[in-house]
Amino acid sequence: MGVILAMQKEYRIYIIMVAVFSLLPFFYHENRYVMHVLILFLIWGVVAAAWDLILGYAGIVSLGQIAFFAVGGYASGMLSMSTGVSPWACIAAGGIVAGVIGLGIGLPCLRLRGVYVAVVTLGLHLVMPTLLMRGRDWGTGGWYGLSNIPPLRVSAPLGLVPIYYVALGMFFLLLFFMDKIIHSSIGLAFVALREAEQFAESLGVNQYKYKLMVFSMSAFFTGVMGAFYAHYISKITPAILNLDLFLLVMVMVVLGGKGRFPGAVIGAFVLTVLNEVLRAAEIYRVLVLGLIIVLTMIYMPNGLMGSFELVAHSIGRRLKRSPVL
Amino acid sequence: MGGWELNLGMLSQVLITGSINCAIYAIMAVGLTLVYGSTRILNFAHGSLFSWGAYLAWFFSVGYFRFNYAITVVLTIFIMFFVGLLFERVVSHPLRRYPDWQTNIIIVTLGAALFMDNLALVVFGPRTKRIPRLLEGSVNIGNVVVDRHDIVIVIMAAVILLLLGAFLKKTWYGMAVRAVAQDSTGAQIVGLHMDRVFSGTLGISAALAGISGILLGPKTLIFPSVGWEVFAKAFVITVLGGLGSVKGTLYAAIIMGMVEVFVTYILGAVWGLPIFIGVLLLVLIVRPKGLFGTWE
Repeated sequence: MGVILAMQKEYRIYIIMVAVFSLLPFFYHENRYVMHVLILFLIWGVVAAAWDLILGYAGIVSLGQIAFFAVGGYASGMLSMSTGVSPWACIAAGGIVAGVIGLGIGLPCLRLRGVYVAVVTLGLHLVMPTLLMRGRDWGTGGWYGLSNIPPLRVSAPLGLVPIYYVALGMFFLLLFFMDKIIHSSIGLAFVALREAEQFAESLGVNQYKYKLMVFSMSAFFTGVMGAFYAHYISKITPAILNLDLFLLVMVMVVLGGKGRFPGAVIGAFVLTVLNEVLRAAEIYRVLVLGLIIVLTMIYMPNGLMGSFELVAHSIGRRLKRSPVL
Repeated sequence: MGGWELNLGMLSQVLITGSINCAIYAIMAVGLTLVYGSTRILNFAHGSLFSWGAYLAWFFSVGYFRFNYAITVVLTIFIMFFVGLLFERVVSHPLRRYPDWQTNIIIVTLGAALFMDNLALVVFGPRTKRIPRLLEGSVNIGNVVVDRHDIVIVIMAAVILLLLGAFLKKTWYGMAVRAVAQDSTGAQIVGLHMDRVFSGTLGISAALAGISGILLGPKTLIFPSVGWEVFAKAFVITVLGGLGSVKGTLYAAIIMGMVEVFVTYILGAVWGLPIFIGVLLLVLIVRPKGLFGTWE
């Protein structure tokens, strides 16, 4: 314990979270449904955090994150099915393909005002199904997508619990990277640009360079998780681009708290659970999600994380003032 | 795909289809650009307003009330105008308290769009609907057969755009809208009510989306997400014309309507949207402010 207490506060939180999540399978390893939902949470947690990285920190309104997710999944699936390369290598390749496409999209439009980025990335999302369905000659599988994508394996195909631990490892590794980016000079540059754009630029902060870097990194993270998802579920179809999934992940970011780092992950947890609860009321599910976005943005623009911070702040102030402590 | 050589008859057919496309895109895109130009709201719910316009027309005519279709059209446009006012009151007005609302409103209108789509799904059900044409039958122009409905579309588009132009140039309210578009701070200083301009432009834009729904509805079937493709195309046109420039939007609508009809004639209908996005990327690389846009 002494070692843990000696560490910085942020790392302590990490260690506690790793411990809690590592222990969960000991209680739930027999319940396949709970394990599945937990794995989904780990996947969406990374995707939501990567979206928040560019939406909340870099201030880029990208609407193409699910498209990058699909790119990663398709690239990895097609590669492993056509060449028989190990799925582990394919996941990395899927992430790289998504990152490169992100770079290609970002190159022309990140110089422009935010509105244009929103239009182009939403356009990318909307044309993806057509491209995937028409791309049967290149192995996208058309309407039916890819099925029987090789599962992750170390000698034998991994069971649900080992896959959970793999997802957990990727989750913490990628979140750690994002945390590092946010608290690095890049993160500082974005804070400077947000607070005083012209002043920051006059000091030589190159907005375009940093935006492009973060945008393609976010696409890479999302692509990696998309690839992992494809190998985990073992199939991927153009239905992944249906607007309800897009909306789900967006609600995670907005409800968790835009630009409040672990907020999107908290949002991912709440929404993954809520999504399962709402499955019983299928027709109202997306209706509720849309409503949550509008209401959160209007009445709680900093999301759950913002409210937590507010509560923690006021409790902290009260404790300081109280004569007992 | 073979045999797409153009002969004169096909060429005139393609040109006529193209002009009908242009007309509908112009109505949709002008609504978008009017709102963006004066209020800086990028309204992602424009496509959903389109679908709701078509649904309302169905609801009043063949769905439940069986009103005369002329009454239906007037009623629908009227209601859509108030839907636009409501949209401003409920969605955009409360958001404008926050300093970074221009980014947030993109997310909010997107959330609102998906809410409206699924409300349509809950209220009207998943089965596709069909609404009547404004005029049945067709006429021969030269040796090309043209639906009377399509002629109505082109005429209505021209009338609407002329009225809109006159409204913006000649009326006091239209001048207020243009003043806000040029310099919103200046407009506030001289005492223009921002809220009224916001409500008015959103109302007009929603009414225009409703009209497009009524005009295009008979040609496509109506289902909850029908608005997205039209919206995406209108959006590309709006950007191509330079966001906020009404004249640029018109030229862009004509260009893209024609480009689309030739592309779909040669490659097939599914390539319409990918071509639009391709053109958009190209324009953003070569001339990012659009054909007639100016940097702020």
